[in-house]
Amino acid sequence: MKKESYYITAENLAAVGKDNIPAELISNTHLIYSSPATLSFNSPGAQGFGVKRAGLAIPGSVMLLVAPGCCGRNTTTLSELGGYSERMFYLVMDETDIVTGAHLKNIPQAVEEICKCTSSMPSVVMICITCVDALLGTDMERVCRKAMDRVNIPVLPCYMYALTREGRKPPMVHVRQSLYSLLKPMKKKLDTVNILGYFAPLMETSELYDLLHHIGMKKINEISRCKDFDEYMHMGEANFNLVLNPEARFAADDIMKRLNIPSAELIRLYQIDKVQNQYKIFTSALGTSFDDQKYYNEAKKVIDELKAAYPDVTFAVGEAMNANSFELSLALLRYGFKVAEIYASLTAEDFVYIRKIAKLSPKTKIYSNLEPTMIYYDCSEEKIDITIGKDAEYYHPDCVNVPWNEDVQPFGYAGIKKLFEELKHSLDCFGKEV
Amino acid sequence: MKGLRKYIPPFAPDQSGAASVLYKLGGIIVICDAGGCVGNVCGFDEPRWAAEKSAIFSAGLRDMDAILGRDDRLVAKLADAAKKVEAKFAAIIGTPVPSVIATDYKAIKKMSEKKLDVPVITIETTGMDLYDVGAEKAYLEMFKTFAKDGFTVDEESIGVIGTIPLDVSDLKAADKIEMTLKSEGFKNVYCYGMGADLSKVEAAGSVFKNIVVSPAGLKAAQYLKERFGTPYEVYYPLVGDILQDEIKEQFKNFEGKKVLVIHQQVIANSIRDKINENVNSDVTVASWFMLKDELKESQDISLTEEDQFVELVEQGNYDVIVGDNILKRAIPNFKGRYVGTPHFAVSGKMCMI
Repeated sequence: MKKESYYITAENLAAVGKDNIPAELISNTHLIYSSPATLSFNSPGAQGFGVKRAGLAIPGSVMLLVAPGCCGRNTTTLSELGGYSERMFYLVMDETDIVTGAHLKNIPQAVEEICKCTSSMPSVVMICITCVDALLGTDMERVCRKAMDRVNIPVLPCYMYALTREGRKPPMVHVRQSLYSLLKPMKKKLDTVNILGYFAPLMETSELYDLLHHIGMKKINEISRCKDFDEYMHMGEANFNLVLNPEARFAADDIMKRLNIPSAELIRLYQIDKVQNQYKIFTSALGTSFDDQKYYNEAKKVIDELKAAYPDVTFAVGEAMNANSFELSLALLRYGFKVAEIYASLTAEDFVYIRKIAKLSPKTKIYSNLEPTMIYYDCSEEKIDITIGKDAEYYHPDCVNVPWNEDVQPFGYAGIKKLFEELKHSLDCFGKEV
Repeated sequence: MKGLRKYIPPFAPDQSGAASVLYKLGGIIVICDAGGCVGNVCGFDEPRWAAEKSAIFSAGLRDMDAILGRDDRLVAKLADAAKKVEAKFAAIIGTPVPSVIATDYKAIKKMSEKKLDVPVITIETTGMDLYDVGAEKAYLEMFKTFAKDGFTVDEESIGVIGTIPLDVSDLKAADKIEMTLKSEGFKNVYCYGMGADLSKVEAAGSVFKNIVVSPAGLKAAQYLKERFGTPYEVYYPLVGDILQDEIKEQFKNFEGKKVLVIHQQVIANSIRDKINENVNSDVTVASWFMLKDELKESQDISLTEEDQFVELVEQGNYDVIVGDNILKRAIPNFKGRYVGTPHFAVSGKMCMI
């Protein structure tokens, strides 16, 4: 038995094409190896924003997790993060509940008890249900309406159906739709925009705010910056929604249907010229323009500084971070760095990057974090200087690492600038720690 | 209200207990789930995962697998993994999804054994029981499947059953127990669940006696007694470590006091014994987990609901409570002395000794 982890080079992957992706890179064809990235993939509630934490994005909301005990177990970690222990409640199901559905009858009373024990009345109670109720076909919307009658505040379903992860509407898509489902039609304000996609705010320094101000937006709403429920409800006044994460498309479509608020989409990029293009296309579509040269120059300067200081540095890029692994890898290659390895869950959409990576760096190895043979990954086979992402650090524990996984979201030139500053700072500091 | 937890998060589930027992044995461990359960096991309930790799995989079940009962796909995935990953056995551990769709584990075992060259065991956990139930099933299955006949009893060898981190809350517990028992004259100490590998499980019939340190290990010890005649004792050898501060103060805070000890039953009983050795006090053991009749005193209490726990403390007039600190959230009005004693299966916190 060969004890080696599976990989494919970028040139070979590009050659086979998106219609012939090797089974090793398709997660539903094999058992799923438990690497750190898998932990984020499988149980995002444990790290970053999973369904549970995301479901609490509405200001003043609390959550009742109705599930077998195992589904709420890792929420102890979440509860330890500031303020969540007072916002998470559990209705633990047993086998009798599954057979009789008795837990559903108890939900209204449980909601009432929760509202009595919180220091102030919650704005919303989110009822989070899991795979078990997915299989039972529970009509949670009906149960929520019953609970709402008892407490006179909104009670919303929130679906943590891991079974549907690769389906049409995976849990992280569903939860985004739930979060905005309370918004009601309001009189439109032409100078108001909603940013959809993330559960934490964009970094303060992102030029996107300046761009939006420049095009006449005075009020920029993000759910994570809403101080209270009332401010959240005023998101219904927006002129348009700006979607920054494709997982928010369903939510944006739903808002369009219900509130007649249209949306535009931008994506997070690390290729500086593509950032510039994207802004140009966006502002042109709105019949305006935005002078972004200052921001471009600032970001370019930081990239150049890293390149000057560490011209031959070799990267390994993971996926448990705030970037598309392939787009970021392509950006690094285009800036003249080496990317030896990428650990990521491949999708057909990534081939737009794969083909370009294959041209610039055909021997770059592409691994799946989820594939069983990753248990044999041997870091000595490749010389890596720096890793990006916590999962990449797992494979190269002795290298410089930039986790790049903070809650506050990098975006645009400011994101590029901050990343390259962190990369340089980490390389500068490596070996200096006592 | 039944099942409602307002202050205390849920405890470690049965699949975590089962996975923990098998963690060090060198098998492929498949958690038969959609992904979240194995995330809980590796990301939370299995502290060894961060430091040492183990072939623990998710079955990656999807809705159509569950709806159509596509067990053959699971078997095919397992067979594929077994070709690529060296393993001494394969274990399939249940979760709520197979429980709801009534998966036939015996059939999966038979189908898998036809495709694999190694033994296959299945642990029928449901995600709805607590960790000790899963651990108990796994210990029993482990010894039934792997313990070999024909060993002669070695008076210098001793087994310790129940040392998973969820129970002993200390990753160095196996080393410490080994040191303690070696100081008592034993040369070979096999800590099942933490230090012992599969060869030690195979040699379970050779030990002079077993020590049971968790109620989850009791059935396995009884099985080994029946099969090999191995006697067993039930106590936790490291109780002195847990009560270090109290020992320094000669248990003066417990003298004449009404004491409630909340832990897994064996550790709680050993704490009670230690207190009673030193001072006169009225000690009650309570546990959220198994309370075995043969280890139980008449006043001991089985905890099932958060409301019941709050009521017990409010009406019990206890002067001292020994328990995991996370439980304090539910009893803010308790004015007595609270001795924090981590229980990993409860809070996910380790002993800091």
